[in-house]
Amino acid sequence: MKIALKAVLMLGAMSLPAPAAELTVITAGDQNMVDYVNQYLGPMFEKENPGDTVRAVGTGPGDAGSQKILERFEAQKGNDSFDTDVAVVHEKFVGPMLKESLLKDYRRDIPTGDLVTSDKARMALGTDVDGYVMPMFSSQTAIAYNPDLVPNPPKTYAEIADWAKEHPGQFGYNGIKGGASGVSFVMGWIYAFGEGDAKTLMNGPFEESETRKWDKALASLKDFNTSATLTPGNAGTLDMLSRGEIAMGPVWVDMFYSWQADGKLPPGFKLVLPAPGMPGQPMHYVIPAKAAHPDLAEKFVALATSPKVQAEGIVKRFNWYPGIDADKVKAELDEKTWNKLFIDVTPEDLARNGKPFPIAPYNNAILEAYERQVAN
Amino acid sequence: MRPPMSQRLLALALVLPALLTILLFFVAPLGASVTGAFSLDGDFTLSNFGKSFELYSSDILFTLCIAGLSTGVIGALAVSIGGYLTLGENPLAVAVLRWLYRWPLFIPFIVVGQILRTFLARNGLMNNILIAGGLLTPLQTTSFLDWRGIVIAFVWKQTPFVALLVAGAMASVDRGTLEAARNLGASRLRILLEILLPQVYTTLAVGLILSFVTMMSVLSVPLMINAQSPTMLTADIAFRINAYGDYGVANALGLISLLMTAGAAAIYLRHAARERAR
Repeated sequence: MKIALKAVLMLGAMSLPAPAAELTVITAGDQNMVDYVNQYLGPMFEKENPGDTVRAVGTGPGDAGSQKILERFEAQKGNDSFDTDVAVVHEKFVGPMLKESLLKDYRRDIPTGDLVTSDKARMALGTDVDGYVMPMFSSQTAIAYNPDLVPNPPKTYAEIADWAKEHPGQFGYNGIKGGASGVSFVMGWIYAFGEGDAKTLMNGPFEESETRKWDKALASLKDFNTSATLTPGNAGTLDMLSRGEIAMGPVWVDMFYSWQADGKLPPGFKLVLPAPGMPGQPMHYVIPAKAAHPDLAEKFVALATSPKVQAEGIVKRFNWYPGIDADKVKAELDEKTWNKLFIDVTPEDLARNGKPFPIAPYNNAILEAYERQVAN
Repeated sequence: MRPPMSQRLLALALVLPALLTILLFFVAPLGASVTGAFSLDGDFTLSNFGKSFELYSSDILFTLCIAGLSTGVIGALAVSIGGYLTLGENPLAVAVLRWLYRWPLFIPFIVVGQILRTFLARNGLMNNILIAGGLLTPLQTTSFLDWRGIVIAFVWKQTPFVALLVAGAMASVDRGTLEAARNLGASRLRILLEILLPQVYTTLAVGLILSFVTMMSVLSVPLMINAQSPTMLTADIAFRINAYGDYGVANALGLISLLMTAGAAAIYLRHAARERAR
């Protein structure tokens, strides 16, 4: 009897699963980012890893959300382990995190690490982040237009400038104080017409002398503004497009498709990504250097960046561009979904004309120069 | 006779929580903001103000004009509403107006901005109604989403507040003086301007100054309607912080708008003092 009891106890102990862990995922961005983890990724991960649970925490939209994550990591620098296992941050904040050795070099340890070959996984606004990040998705800005009013959309910034001159008030953008699609248009303008090298702006190093090469570009932008309409915000541009008040304007691609899917934009509207390019930005999965559950965290990121999840979750559900290479995702998607995302802006366009934002000091310098020379 | 020590201590203890709250949550942040306006990397400097005037002088002027114009229109409308409520002869019209005019009081600024953003757009509801009514053709329409939109939003939202104060003050004016004027043949407009208005002037001024200060601090309306250039200082302050993390210039801009509101308050105080001296 005693032996039987012992045997049962032993058996029981052996069949117990590994101690259940709670994986904490902390994410910057809008509520949809938290929903994405809670409703989609989390349940999938929990199914594959019975007993473990995923907890998602949002830190709020925009750069401010990522800034909070950075400060949270800094505060825990001296601890033995962080309260976070996986974080999703804007690329601008990966550099500062690396500088303080807050992140783990993990990309080559996970099976999906090879699926991203683009530069965005190596450089983040001038900082070498190779190995420390896996891109969750990329968002891109492009020019949306109404084909009824613009049968032959301009393909370059120079053509946009000419078109706007010929059609006063028909090009609308939201300046630099109403959201990032307008900021992106301005950055693209400097890439196109600034006298410096756009590559320096994107990769650094920062030099004061570069900032004096934009006078002509800004003067022409001021002139451009006289024939353009200024819209109230990212959504404002889409609103005015849908009401037919403007015929063309810069928008976030994912927002454009989501609005179209919701019926807030006519189905016929199209996108074009003009040369020499407009900025977009990825959001990255990072794992803190002292994550409490490093193995689970890697498993989680591997799942999140697998072609299937990138296809289903990132492309199909949210109209974002995949974080890993697009051709790896294509096999997982039906033709219709794929076409929806890539029919206007082809993967080749994206590779050629999808640019990063300038590194932070140039970014700020361009914004302030705009305030001084264009808005004043 | 002086109150005993224990009572004085008790009084002090009673005041202390309120005093501490004010010091901690109002005076200290204000002080930090003021000193922050004069500091850059820990050193005393005027460069924040230099930059404020260099980049935002047109916005400072714009803010002053918009708030001033709105205050003027609000005053005129509030006096008209209060006047009609006091002097109106059609009881039904008075009742309807009394019921209607207070509504915007309960609507937050952000909602006002949101409503007007679609209402005032070029192909928005207002122009569509005008076109449907045959008053405009589609080619004649313009967007009101610029300085006019901000003024409309402010006036729409703040008029009821001032009208409420003014109507209350007018209601407490001695009816006898109004009846006497009426008996002597004065028109209602003349009674309003020459008899009612002078008696409620102080209340009107208080309401308008409070409105002016409120409008100076609204961020949502300029963001929703017109965050381009020129725009209100509040939008610039938010932009300085969100885009650059630059609290120095933001503080300087805050101090500049504080000076504007203080100016309005000073004008009022001087006037009130002169009234009392008379």
